[in-house]
Amino acid sequence: MRRQRVLRGLVFGIIAAMVLATAQPGPSQAQASRVVRELVLVTWPQAQNPQQYESARIAAEGMRQLGLKVTVRTMPWEQLADYVWEERQKWDMTTWQMVGRPERSDPDEILVNLFSSSTAKDGYNFVGFIDPKYDGLAQAQRSATDPAARKHLVDQAQQVLADAQPYTFLVNPKSLYAYDNQVWDPHTIVEQKGIGIKNFWTFVQAAPKGAQKDMVLNALDPILAINPLYISGKVDSWITELIWDRLVRIGPDGLPRPWAASAYTWVNPTTIDVTLRPGMRFHDGTPVTLDDVIFSFMAPKGDKVPMYKPFVANIADIKKVNATTLRFVLAKPQAAFLTSTLGKLNIVPQHAWGPMLQSLEGKKDNAQFLQEKAPVGSGPFRFVSWTRGQEVVLEANPQHWAAPKMHRWILRTVSNVEASLGGLRNGEINFLSDYLGDPMVLNRLSRQDPRITVVASTDIGFQFIAYNERRPPFNDVNLRRALTMAIDRTMIRLVAFKGYGEMSDSPVSKALEYWHASRLPQYSRDVQAARDLLKKAGYEWDGQGRLMYPASQSETLEVAR
Amino acid sequence: MPRSSTRWFAQRLAQMLLVLWVIATILFLIFRLMPGNPLVAYIDTTFTTEQKQALIHSFGLDLPLWQQYLIFLRESAAGNLGRSFSFHAPVAQLVWETLPNTLVLMLSAVVVAFLLGTVTGAFLAWKRGTVVESIGIPLVLAVRSAPEFWVGMILLAVFSFSLRWFPSFGTVSPGAQYASLWQRLTSPDFLHHLTLPLITLVLYLQGLPLLLMRSNMLDVMEEEFVVMARMKGLPERRILLAHAARNALLPVVTAFALVIGYSIGGNVVIENVFSWPGLGRLLVRAVAAKDYPLAQGAFLLIAAMSIVMNLLADVAYTWLDPRVSYAKR
Repeated sequence: MRRQRVLRGLVFGIIAAMVLATAQPGPSQAQASRVVRELVLVTWPQAQNPQQYESARIAAEGMRQLGLKVTVRTMPWEQLADYVWEERQKWDMTTWQMVGRPERSDPDEILVNLFSSSTAKDGYNFVGFIDPKYDGLAQAQRSATDPAARKHLVDQAQQVLADAQPYTFLVNPKSLYAYDNQVWDPHTIVEQKGIGIKNFWTFVQAAPKGAQKDMVLNALDPILAINPLYISGKVDSWITELIWDRLVRIGPDGLPRPWAASAYTWVNPTTIDVTLRPGMRFHDGTPVTLDDVIFSFMAPKGDKVPMYKPFVANIADIKKVNATTLRFVLAKPQAAFLTSTLGKLNIVPQHAWGPMLQSLEGKKDNAQFLQEKAPVGSGPFRFVSWTRGQEVVLEANPQHWAAPKMHRWILRTVSNVEASLGGLRNGEINFLSDYLGDPMVLNRLSRQDPRITVVASTDIGFQFIAYNERRPPFNDVNLRRALTMAIDRTMIRLVAFKGYGEMSDSPVSKALEYWHASRLPQYSRDVQAARDLLKKAGYEWDGQGRLMYPASQSETLEVAR
Repeated sequence: MPRSSTRWFAQRLAQMLLVLWVIATILFLIFRLMPGNPLVAYIDTTFTTEQKQALIHSFGLDLPLWQQYLIFLRESAAGNLGRSFSFHAPVAQLVWETLPNTLVLMLSAVVVAFLLGTVTGAFLAWKRGTVVESIGIPLVLAVRSAPEFWVGMILLAVFSFSLRWFPSFGTVSPGAQYASLWQRLTSPDFLHHLTLPLITLVLYLQGLPLLLMRSNMLDVMEEEFVVMARMKGLPERRILLAHAARNALLPVVTAFALVIGYSIGGNVVIENVFSWPGLGRLLVRAVAAKDYPLAQGAFLLIAAMSIVMNLLADVAYTWLDPRVSYAKR
């Protein structure tokens, strides 16, 4: 009996000793708990997004040189987004991207939504960047209607971000498109700043050289919906832009210009008068009236058009001034109103959408679930047909004041990247509008075949690594700066993006020459300087070269799982 | 119909329903247990909690899981497959729009593959031990084991990109309009687009009927009735066709029904290589986007068809071979 007890005690002792030994590999307990835990960088699988995957691998290598243990973990996009968005306390770092869209030609959307403290809880500020000074600047630029004053505030906001490094900005990728220069007159292909040659202006202005008057384009993903009150997907928006007019369009220079509005004037910082272009007609022949415009902007204020609701939230009232002019009254000054509201909402016919929205009253559905059989807008292209999973056909609207020169605009769903290249060579498509393959391959193709013109343009979008500031050590600005200095961003540009990108230093793309702040701190790669910076901030390294928190701090978190 | 067969049929029907229910339950759970979330497609700079709640509500995801399950069972039983999260259109409509493309490609490929496979299989059995066999069999195996996407890409590279004989994607030429589905499916343009994916699929499918037919033939050729026929002095061709082949064909017929059953789901690889707007591609998208209703509905439909084809195979067997009878059990 006693011997058994002794034996059992001995076994327990040995086990306990073993557990303790494995739990503290460091020299002493006090030091071990100061060692920064293993950090996890989540990213896309290589097959889904090779650029981000490669970026993550190269970045992790740089971070390791600071004495950090960094693991790169891949997750399919759907899972990654869910994790980053919904579990804001759990993850350490992620690769992420903002894509370029015409509306993002104004920095307001990005500056306010990505870094304001108000969006940290459940909005796009998923890193939890909190800075009252920044909040002040972001809000101030929003209401600064004087362009020079606003530019100054936008510069200052970018400066705060560059100092704080909530993200390590990697590149503004180049978007790559190609077209058949025997079919389309190169002089009529328009390059839009930060967007590339696949844009509204090209589609309206492209002139056919010969008998082929149809523009045949490709998209990798199928069309989800063709609905003016639903922002359904990247490719879908190419179509809605063409079928429905907007009061304002973002011009090739990236700045707003009148479109369905023949003119607009700011009466004061909260009042803008908009004159509707005369003689506009919907594709069904009915005229476009001021009432249609009012309807288009007021309908989203209810609950049935949720995706457009944020863009009209600031509109207090819309009044008719005379037979052709509307007065928009805003609740508070909004500098980006032209781009983010007048340039965003589609003008829809009230006689079609009024009854449709009415039919939704009392139901849990909203306008996003309605699909017209033959969508009707007033834009430069008319809807012809949509064969699901295969193609959407639009035709030029000859009655439009900016009638396109092409006959039809045909968007094909081509799921095989090689086939879209082969199709470009064959003439099955004559405008390569969606290409995620190797840029080198496309360039080689254009060298072999002089009919094919490739245009690479720096994008409004940007690629970055985001740090979760809710989780130490990422709450320390010195550590974030050191990380940016340790990451070989040039290598990322050259290897992950094959040189098709420009080094990025701000959420405002270098493609937006007017808005991008010059003279931001550059954080060139220098591992020694990064280590010095950490040392100065009190960080130390243990005997095995592992990074330890400053003396007053210890590791409190579990490794992110 | 004798009483025993009626009972057998009723039993089979009950079994089928049970299997369908199990499949439905698994489908319901599997997509919800997978990591990810159907709402991530909506994440945007202006995406608000209010919008998220509205979406969750309109998708019915705010209900407890067991309630969602009961609604799903009830609606599926009533033939309502729900509405896709990503396309915002009824699942039945989405399936209905893509199914004809899948069916035409699959059925034509299965028929061609089985005709070709059976005849070649019989021929190779007849050529047992000759040079033809020693070249034919490895060739068939090689073609059968070559990955479909690879075969498809080779065909595209040669016949589309280089020779430009065939188009490289889609089911019809850009902008081609047809008055009806039937007109589209029978148009020369459609057949032109069908050729390369069809060849790819036939090359992939021919192995099964061919090898099955050949080994059956070899077995049957040893049977006494064949020996008997030879003793009677019947010509070799007559023995082969009228006696041996007829009997060797039985398992091939069953395999035919089964292959059709599981081909309904489309062929993801071939549909992607040739940008063929079929059910397979729709399903991949549904699974990736966590589009529960579309994924559940479409898989359930495929399962149902596959079960029905299984039943038909069984029935065909009893009918073709009177020795096989399920009724007695």
